[in-house]
Amino acid sequence: MLLEVRDLHVEFHTRDGVARAVNGVSYAVEAGETLAVLGESGSGKSVTAQAVMGILDMPPGRITAGEVLFEGRDLLKLKEEERRKVRGAEMAMIFQDALSSLNPVLTVGDQLGEMFTVHRGMSRKDARAKAVELMDRVRIPAARERVRQYPHQFSGGMRQRIMIAMAMALEPKLIIADEPTTALDVTVQAQVMELLAELQREFRMGLILITHDLGVVADVADKIAVMYAGRIVESAPVHDIYKAPAHPYTRGLLDSIPRLDQKGRELYAIKGLPPNLTRIPPGCAFHPRCPMAQEVCRTDVPPLYDVTESDAERGSACHFWRECLHG
Amino acid sequence: MPEQPPYEPERAIAGTGTGGQMDLAASEATTLEGTPDGPGGSGPGGSSDLGGRPRSLWSDAWHDLRRNPVFIISGLVILFLVVISVWPSLIAPGNPLHCELSKAQEGSQPGHPFGYDGQGCDVYTRTVYGARTSVLVGVLATLGVAVLGSVLGGLAGFFGGVGDSILSRITDVFFAIPVVLGGLVLLSVITSNTVWPVIGFIVLLGWPQISRIARGSVITAKQNDYVQAARALGASNSRLLLRHIAPNAVAPVIVVATIALGTYIALEATLSYLGVGLKPPSVSWGIDISAASPYVRNAPHALLWPSGALAVTVLAFIMLGDAVRDALDPKLR
Amino acid sequence: MGRYVVRRLLQMIPVFIGATLLIFLMVNVMGDPIAGLCGERECDPATAAQLRKEFGLDKPVWQQYLTYMGNVFTGDFGTAFNGQPVTELMGTAFPVTIRLTIVAIVAEIVIGITLGVVTGLRRGRPVDTTVLVLTLVVISVPTFVTGLLLQLLLGVKWEWIRPSVSPEAPFDELIVPGLVLASVSLAYVTRLTRTSIAENRRSDYVRTAIAKGLPRRRVITRHLLRNSLIPVVTFIGTDIGALMGGAIVTERIFNIHGVGYQLYQGILRQNTQTVVGFVTVLVLVFLAANLLVDLLYAVLDPRIRYA
Repeated sequence: MLLEVRDLHVEFHTRDGVARAVNGVSYAVEAGETLAVLGESGSGKSVTAQAVMGILDMPPGRITAGEVLFEGRDLLKLKEEERRKVRGAEMAMIFQDALSSLNPVLTVGDQLGEMFTVHRGMSRKDARAKAVELMDRVRIPAARERVRQYPHQFSGGMRQRIMIAMAMALEPKLIIADEPTTALDVTVQAQVMELLAELQREFRMGLILITHDLGVVADVADKIAVMYAGRIVESAPVHDIYKAPAHPYTRGLLDSIPRLDQKGRELYAIKGLPPNLTRIPPGCAFHPRCPMAQEVCRTDVPPLYDVTESDAERGSACHFWRECLHG
Repeated sequence: MPEQPPYEPERAIAGTGTGGQMDLAASEATTLEGTPDGPGGSGPGGSSDLGGRPRSLWSDAWHDLRRNPVFIISGLVILFLVVISVWPSLIAPGNPLHCELSKAQEGSQPGHPFGYDGQGCDVYTRTVYGARTSVLVGVLATLGVAVLGSVLGGLAGFFGGVGDSILSRITDVFFAIPVVLGGLVLLSVITSNTVWPVIGFIVLLGWPQISRIARGSVITAKQNDYVQAARALGASNSRLLLRHIAPNAVAPVIVVATIALGTYIALEATLSYLGVGLKPPSVSWGIDISAASPYVRNAPHALLWPSGALAVTVLAFIMLGDAVRDALDPKLR
Repeated sequence: MGRYVVRRLLQMIPVFIGATLLIFLMVNVMGDPIAGLCGERECDPATAAQLRKEFGLDKPVWQQYLTYMGNVFTGDFGTAFNGQPVTELMGTAFPVTIRLTIVAIVAEIVIGITLGVVTGLRRGRPVDTTVLVLTLVVISVPTFVTGLLLQLLLGVKWEWIRPSVSPEAPFDELIVPGLVLASVSLAYVTRLTRTSIAENRRSDYVRTAIAKGLPRRRVITRHLLRNSLIPVVTFIGTDIGALMGGAIVTERIFNIHGVGYQLYQGILRQNTQTVVGFVTVLVLVFLAANLLVDLLYAVLDPRIRYA
C-alpha cells in the first residue's frame, strides 16, 4: 500500500471552542490508483489532505490521533526535517487557486527550479533547464521564453499547468490535488484534468483528488470516499456508487447533479446546512438533514458498515444502508 | 444599524469574495459557508466562521471589546480625563495660574505632591488643568477632521470623475508638507491665544488623511454586489450613500479617527512646546514641558509629570483605536 | 518601465506646484514678509515701501510666486535674515540633517524590520506582546518628550552623550538624536512588518513553498520576506521626506544646526526667503523620495513592473 491513513483525528482551537474537523478518517491509495475524496466545504477533506502532507497550521490545528502510513512508515512520527524531505520529493500537492498559490514576485522558472536546487542540489543553470523541460512536458507553449515570466503573466489554465509541473517535478509517488480545476473555466477544466490523469498513468503515481464535482470524479477516479462532518460516510469503487449509493448523503449529492435526461424536473437539493464543527450533532452527524432519519440516528453514531456485495470493498456509515442501497 | 435590505442572497454573495472584510455582508456570509475547507484552506480563520449565531459586525465588535482589557483600561483612562477636563477642581482645588516665585523648583511636599515648577507654580494643579486643553483640542480637531474628511472623501469616492481626481491631487499636496513645519509657518503669525487656531490648523492639515481612508472604503463598499443590486433596483444616490454605503464604509474612518485623536493631542503639545501653539498664560502640557526644560537639572519633576500625563493620554487614545480596529477587522483575528 | 517613470514624474508637477504655492501663500499672506527685514525695530513706512518694491512685493501674489520660482530654478533662493544667501545656509544645514536622517533610516531598517519579522513569526507569544506594547508606548510618547527624557537621562544624569550636539555634528553624536527622530516611525515599521509577515505567513504561496519541501529558512527569506517587505519599503521611502521635515523638534532639543534649526530661526524672524526656500527643497526631497519608492516598488513587485 502506498498511503494508508488510519483513524485520523484533527481539531482546531478557535475562540468559539474546539472545532472537530476530522474525526477518525481512514483511507488508502495504491500506486497508480486514483482516490476521489468528495464532500461539501467543511467536511474535512482538505484538512485531512493537509495533515497527510504535513502542511497543517499548527496551532490552531492539532492532530489528536491517527497514523499516516506512507510506504509503511508513519509520517506523523517523523522529525520535521525528515518530513520536509518527503514533501515535494515523494508526495506533492496541487492547490485550487494557482494564482495565489504561486509566489507573485518570483519567476515561474525560479519556482520550478527551486525543486531541483533544494531537493537535488542542482546548480541554478541546470535547474533552469529542468524547469523548461517541465513546462514543455505540461505543454506550455514557448517554454524557453516564458520560463522568465511571472505567474500573473499566464492565463488561469497555464498557471494550473505550472502548478502541476511543480508537483510532478521530482516524480513523486503520490499527488494530492485539492480541487485542481474548481477555479478554472469549464473548457479548460477538462484539459487540465486530462493532463493530470495522463501524467498519473505515465508515472504510475497514486492520486488523491479532492473535489466536490461529481462529474470530474466519474471520469478519472477508481474509488470514492465521501466525507461529511469530518468522517467518511461512504467509500466504494466509483461505478458502484453511481449505480446505487449506500448512504443517503451520497444519494443526495448524486440527485443534485443536473442531468440532461431529466430536463424539466425540479432539481434536488439537500436541505439544511453542513453542521457547525464546534457543535457536531450527536448520533449520525447527518441526521438533521437526512430524509431517512429515525430515532436511532439521533443517538447512535453509525460505524462504517461493511456493505461489500461484489469483490470490491465497500463501506457505508448509515444505520439504514440496506434500505438506502436497495430502496 | 440599517434595516435588513430585502435582497439577502446578494448580500451573502457579496461576502464570499476576498474584499470587503469590513462589511456586514462578509461577516454574515462567512457564518454560512466558511469552515476549515474554505478556499484559504489554512484552517478555520476565525470564530465567526464557526459561530452558530449570525452577528452583525458592530455587535460582534462590541462583544469583543467588552472582553478586551486594553479597551476597558484605555476607556477608563479616557473617561477619567474627560471628567477632570470638565471639572478639574474635583481633584485639584488650587488655581493653576497662582504661582509663588519663592517656591520655584521646589520638590514634592504636603499638599503639593508634584512640587513646583520654575516659576513656582504648583505642578500638580497645572498638570490636572492641562488635561482640558488636550482633550478639547483632541476631540474638536478630530470631529472637524472626521466630518470634513469623510464628507469630501466619501463624495469623491462615490461620484468619482474629475472632482475625485482634483481631490486626490489636493490631498497629495497636503501630504507633501511636513505637519510640524506647516504648523510653525501658519501659527507663528497668529496672536490669538485660544485653542481655536490650533484646532483650525489641525483640521486644515488633517482632513486629507481621513479623506483618503473614506474615499477608499467608499469605493470598496460601492463595488459590493448588494450596492449594485440596490442601484439596479433604482435606489437614489443619496439613499445608496447613506443607507448602503456609509454604514459599511464608516468603520475604517472611526478607527483611524480614534488613533488620530491621540496624535492630535501630541501635535498640540508639540506646537505649544515649539512656542506656536498655545502660549502662556494658557495651561497646556506642551507649554509646561517647554518651560521646564531649561531647569531640568534642578527640577526634573516639573518636566516629568506633564510629560507622563501627556504620554498616558496619547497612549490611551491610541490603544482605544487599536482595540476598536482589532474588533472591527475580522481578518486579524 | 520608462513610461511608468515618466508618468510618475508628470504626476509630481502639480503636487510640487501646489505644495510650494501653499507654503508661499501661507508665508506671504499670513505674515508680513518685510517685517523681519529691519531687524528688531519696526520698519519706517518709507523704507517698508521701498523694500516692497525692491522685492516685488507690490505685485500680485501669483506674480511673486512665478518670479520666485523662476529665481529658484536658476539657483537663487534669495537672502536670509543675516544677509547670507539662503543657498549658503542650505549648504551648511542640509548635510547635517541628511546625516541625522541617515541615522534614523538605518535605525528603522535594522531595528524596525528585525523586530517586525521576529514578532510576526511569533504572533501571540510573549516576545510579540512585549514588543507590541513597547511600540504602542513609543508611538504614544511625543517625540519631543522622548527626546527631552533621553537627553535628561543619557546626557545629564549618566553623561553618556553630550546633551547638545557640536556644530560639526559628526555621525557618532547624532546616534541618539537620530534614534529619537526615528522612534515613532521605527515603531510603525515594526508594526507594519509584523502585520505584513503575519498576513503573508498564511498566504497560499507560503503554503505552496512549505508543500514543496523547502527548508524553513528558505521559505521565510525567499518567499515570505520578499513579499512582506514591499509595503515596509514603501513606508520607509516616504518617511525620508517626513523625517527631514520633522527634524525641527529633534534639532531643537539637541541643538543641532540643521534644516530644522534654520527653518525655526527663519520663522521666528519672519524671513520669508529662508522659509520658502527650505520648504521648497524639502518638498523636492519628499517628491524624489516618493519617486524612489515607486521605482523600488516596481523592482520588487513584477505585477507593477509589467502592468
